[in-house]
Amino acid sequence: RYVRQLQRLQLLFSPTAADARGARQFVEEVALDFARQHPDVVLYVSPRPGPAPLLLAEYLNGTVREELIASKTSEEIAQLATKLAGQSGLDIIRIRKPFHTDNPSVQGQWHPLTNKPSALTVRGPRLQPQ
Amino acid sequence: MVLLSAPLWLRSRLTDRFWRVQEVLKYARHFRGRKNRCYKLAVRSVQRAFVKSTKARREKKRFLRALWITRIEAASLEHGLKYPAFISNLLKSQVELNRKMIADLAIYEPKTFKSLAALAQRRRQEGFLAALGDGKEPEGIFSRIVHHY
Repeated sequence: RYVRQLQRLQLLFSPTAADARGARQFVEEVALDFARQHPDVVLYVSPRPGPAPLLLAEYLNGTVREELIASKTSEEIAQLATKLAGQSGLDIIRIRKPFHTDNPSVQGQWHPLTNKPSALTVRGPRLQPQ
Repeated sequence: MVLLSAPLWLRSRLTDRFWRVQEVLKYARHFRGRKNRCYKLAVRSVQRAFVKSTKARREKKRFLRALWITRIEAASLEHGLKYPAFISNLLKSQVELNRKMIADLAIYEPKTFKSLAALAQRRRQEGFLAALGDGKEPEGIFSRIVHHY
């Protein structure tokens, strides 16, 4: 069953600044629909007198992503929010290999004594002098 | 009235020079010497580094293939077979494993690799018998070809 990795979305914006116009429009029009479409994400809307409007996304593995939404239209903010809702909290860096195993070797990894006769490593029962 | 060009006394100054410089320097941080600190030297080094990394993607394939071949050669020599004999006999027995997989098997699955070497050796013997024996002995078992149509 699908578990959404996005825990909460915090929308921080100022009620009077000019660049938060898109954020205010988003809150008035689109935020309710977004919250209904994504019932497992908690949406916090907090107007504060701070500098720039921010969209904070917190994921289940603890990563917090901040996105600036200054001078963005409410559709762009909605697109951003849906994109963040579909991501997991892993860092967005280059994946070195598309595969990973915890047990790479089933038969035992090769070491320099694998194909040598076992008389070199095994000490047999000590023969009594006869 | 609309002014089509700005007056001469109006200046626009560059305010994010710091960030434009940092965009280049962040790729030079692990370099040696003043190239990792001074912008003028870093620009040249970063440009060359990017060009080299682009061109090296083609060489990487060649390099890795040579590495796998070296490893397979070492592993098959432990079992008494040389690399050309091993690979050609594996192909004749319709085992279509590429060098990457055979190298990984040789490292992580030594018993499987031993059985592959034994298979190649058996096919080699059957090939010698077929070439030198001239039809009187029955055909080899591992020389039979399976058609997958």
